Amino acid sequence: MLKKLKLTATDDLPLVILDAKNNMFRITGRILPEDGNVFFEPILEWIRTYIKEPNDLTEFHFNLDYYNSSTARMITKLIVELEKIQEVNKDVKVIWEYEEDDEVMLERGEELKSISYLPFELRGKS
Amino acid sequence: MTTNSINTFFKILENDNICFAYRGSFNNAILSMATELVKNNIGEEHAKLKNKISFLMIESFQNIAKYADSDVLEEPTDESDFFMVRNIGSSFYIVSANLIENSKIDIVREKLEKVNTSDKKELNQLYKTVLTNKQLNEKGGAGLGFIEMVRKTKGKLPFDFVKINDEKSIFFMQINLTNPKTEKEGESLAGIDEVKLIHKMVAQDNILMYHRGNFTKEAVGPVLKMIEDNMSSMKFKAQKKAFHFLVEILQNISKHGYEIEDKREGLFLISMKNGQFEIGTGNYIANSKVENLKKQIEQVNNLSNDNLNNLYRKYLREGRVTDSGSAGLGLIDLARETDENINYEFEQLNDKYSFFSLTVKL
Repeated sequence: MLKKLKLTATDDLPLVILDAKNNMFRITGRILPEDGNVFFEPILEWIRTYIKEPNDLTEFHFNLDYYNSSTARMITKLIVELEKIQEVNKDVKVIWEYEEDDEVMLERGEELKSISYLPFELRGKS
Repeated sequence: MTTNSINTFFKILENDNICFAYRGSFNNAILSMATELVKNNIGEEHAKLKNKISFLMIESFQNIAKYADSDVLEEPTDESDFFMVRNIGSSFYIVSANLIENSKIDIVREKLEKVNTSDKKELNQLYKTVLTNKQLNEKGGAGLGFIEMVRKTKGKLPFDFVKINDEKSIFFMQINLTNPKTEKEGESLAGIDEVKLIHKMVAQDNILMYHRGNFTKEAVGPVLKMIEDNMSSMKFKAQKKAFHFLVEILQNISKHGYEIEDKREGLFLISMKNGQFEIGTGNYIANSKVENLKKQIEQVNNLSNDNLNNLYRKYLREGRVTDSGSAGLGLIDLARETDENINYEFEQLNDKYSFFSLTVKL
């Protein structure tokens, strides 16, 4: 089975846990590197391997306070990869968690949902 | 705020290695932001002064009497206090400007003149006397804060009062701290008149804060972190958006700014008027990049919000078209978040680079 990927959070990078065995897929925190490519490449690489043999149901959780434009593109890239899970007849879902009074993160979730081709749940937390 | 005012600010602060100013209500979050910012931006040659500068900044802050209870950023008013710290050459300057009742001017003036005309021995004596004799202090003997500032800097405390009406004046004070190790012969000190000019400009443009310094990747990170920390207690949409604007704009400077001697010199300002934030930036840019950037800004300025949204979403999924005349995600995002155009100006300075100024309203 694919080895777990865990990245610890820093001032401008989030906590990442990608764990196929425990069926846990989470990105939590804030993401604002000047160049999103560098940070996301290992994550995308892991996902590209994972989607070849995905679990029956993959729930990918985003719980973000903030991210910049270069990251927005990378998040979309990640979602586009996740969409491919549906091609092998397995289920996939994005869960976009945001704090209830955080309109900015809600709006961003809505926008990503509107351009995604997979189940996408906006989950407000109080 | 206009591109013209950014230009003027930049020219006044041209020789500053770092300059940070804040005008508004004061609290501990602002203080720690300012001290961290300065600590992080002090050149290696001045490393030994770090603690002293922090100490003097705190003293100066405490000198600004009105401390706000909340840590929410408030709009500056005509009565707002002003704080500035700057480094030019071998000297650091810590400046405060706050309102004072005209009836108290003579007392403060007397205190300052006393410490400014005392020698080291007299200062030590004065310090002891004030410590042990509260009465003298109340009657107008020098305050402990002033004595400490003079003892720490081994210099004078330039000050001035500018009358604004029959009741109140603005009290300007500057602490000068020179690094003896790097001081060059004949290096002159910046005067308090320049502070008065800067203060006037800041008030005219409703500036909440500005930062002039180096905008390389390494320097921008901590700046953003501090501003965010200072805003983090708030969930207000406008403040989150202000932060987002700053991230995009500052990262843009650090990516595309013209590098001179390993530095990407830049200036950014935040103003607040009638609840509306405005962000302005100024930085050098290579002449070869000017035409494309102009095209990109014009492109987003000419698109409707719907078209900007569509373009943004298209780029999210498909990536940016590799045509240098087309704007990137960051710029499109700025344009769609503001109801007004992005204002900009390029001023060619020589055959290598130009000065690029930009203002955008939230």
